[in-house]
Amino acid sequence: MAEPARVLRFALVAVLLALVGTIPASQREAPAAADRSAAADRPAGPLAVDSFRSARSYSAVASPVRLRIPDIGVDTPLTPLGRNADGTVAVPVDPDVAGWYREGARPGQPGPAVILGHVDSRVGPAVFYDLHALRAGTQVSVERSDGSRVAFRVTGQVRVAKSRFPTDLVYAPTLEPSLRLVTCGGTFDHAVGHYRDNVIVYADAA
Amino acid sequence: MSRQAWCRRTLAVLVVVLTGLVAGHAAVARGGRFPTVAAPATPGDAAVALQAALGYHSVLAADMMRSRIRGDEELARAAENAVGRNTDVMRQLVGALLGADRAEQFRLLWTAHVTALANYSRGVADEDNGARDAARSALSTFEGDLAGFLAAGSQGRLPRDAAAAAAYLHVDHLMQQADAYAAGDYARADQIYREGYAHTFELGETIANALIGPAAVKALRAPAWRLRSQLTRLLGEHVVLVVAATRAGATNGPDFAAAGEAVNANTRDLAGAVDTLFGAAAAQRFQSLWADHVEQVMAYTGGVAAGDATRREAAIEALGGFEKQFAAFLSSATGGRLPVADLARTLVMHDQMLLAQVDSFAAKQYEQAQDSAYSTYGHMGDVAGQLAGAFTGTLGDRAPKGGSQTGYGGTAGHHG
Repeated sequence: MAEPARVLRFALVAVLLALVGTIPASQREAPAAADRSAAADRPAGPLAVDSFRSARSYSAVASPVRLRIPDIGVDTPLTPLGRNADGTVAVPVDPDVAGWYREGARPGQPGPAVILGHVDSRVGPAVFYDLHALRAGTQVSVERSDGSRVAFRVTGQVRVAKSRFPTDLVYAPTLEPSLRLVTCGGTFDHAVGHYRDNVIVYADAA
Repeated sequence: MSRQAWCRRTLAVLVVVLTGLVAGHAAVARGGRFPTVAAPATPGDAAVALQAALGYHSVLAADMMRSRIRGDEELARAAENAVGRNTDVMRQLVGALLGADRAEQFRLLWTAHVTALANYSRGVADEDNGARDAARSALSTFEGDLAGFLAAGSQGRLPRDAAAAAAYLHVDHLMQQADAYAAGDYARADQIYREGYAHTFELGETIANALIGPAAVKALRAPAWRLRSQLTRLLGEHVVLVVAATRAGATNGPDFAAAGEAVNANTRDLAGAVDTLFGAAAAQRFQSLWADHVEQVMAYTGGVAAGDATRREAAIEALGGFEKQFAAFLSSATGGRLPVADLARTLVMHDQMLLAQVDSFAAKQYEQAQDSAYSTYGHMGDVAGQLAGAFTGTLGDRAPKGGSQTGYGGTAGHHG
């Protein structure tokens, strides 16, 4: 039995090495358990598995082009937004147009899509002036560049100091289709020319 | 047997045994002993472990029912034994939350529903409406019993009606997929199989929230946990669907086409997830590599079914290429958070485990095939956790800093 014992030791070492990935794939042996099944047990005729082909495309979600929130009279085109050089999020140039954060999810993708809009301009109300009035259950609709639409339902809203902005809850990746609408709120700091707070509306796929 | 053949055989057996041991997550002890599950360290760990165990329960229960419908008693027995081991994993998880007495209560009522599901599939196979109705009645009793158990364990956090509705849906998925399978509507059977698997993750979250309480409610809202849970579901589904497809492929079963399409649906879902996380270009690269991976596992299966060692070896060779490229892709996507060498080892193990399962199944070593599949699933759960952590860190670094400057002050003092 000396020979089998030697082979067993060899096999054990070989498997351990394979498990830690030190055996290149080209040198790995095909496990031979299947060889033990009698030829008579093998399926006859053409094998369906031989015709298998993997899916090599998926249904991509188109970019958003328009946001509608009938309850507060919002019907705005959407402009793509990135980040500023200092790492903060860019905002729409036009106070009457909302923007979509293009480095996050597209609305309807499995993840949080973020749409930002101004609460006011220097002279009056802007596109998200009434965002603070949204309540749980309100319907929000986003139209996409391919003509498709996706609906969301508001689940809640918060007003938070910008210094304690919940980056995680707004931008962190999940795989659940959801929407965050962001604008300014609270008191205006005239010294720096900005509002002190942000209003964030959370919505899930309807 | 030649020395070379003996060596190959030894190697194959050891791959199966060692991969099972290395997998760690709910590693299955054989010979009548129950597996041991470490008490979860955090509410989030407990919740995702519960989700994964419930997900696998739905898969094993469906396997058991389908085997009975096909009249494959040996395979049905192996699946039933695996369901029993999975039930014990859940018993231990429940025990960690509610104590040993309640855990035993859970085991008894859960086992009763597994028995009723087995009886239902026998009724379907034998076209015995009386047996089916009796099983349905037993399952209805189970739904009420489980709802009562969860409502009591939740100390009022989970209404009995909500728990009963969740239990009903779980049972309904399993019965419906069995009915469709028996009718030869494999596409519908697999669609329900996928829905049932996904639902068990929702059920696991519901149960975790109910039994763990406020600590879980907070932990399970965290985006990092949600991503981990979702990746565990998607990648776990990859394993269970590939296992199902390779088994149908190895026997050239009539359900293979639908099983293959279910794998492809999961592949598309994974690509969509990568698009969300890393963009369209990364998703396309991911899908190209992932598609190669799945095709080579199927090619290996074809080689096994045909008894063609050359084809099997060619598939292994091609998988080696996938492992290297995919490791490089993931490492790059995560900015090096996940080292290429570690990823490559993980992928080698994943492929070896899948292939070992094919070998065991083709050799009609069904208990071993079940263990191998369970270990592969558990290993993938661990991988999903690591990926979720790396993705969260990488994308967190890229998130905008602070709040938005979305106001110029023209209405300051006049709005809410």
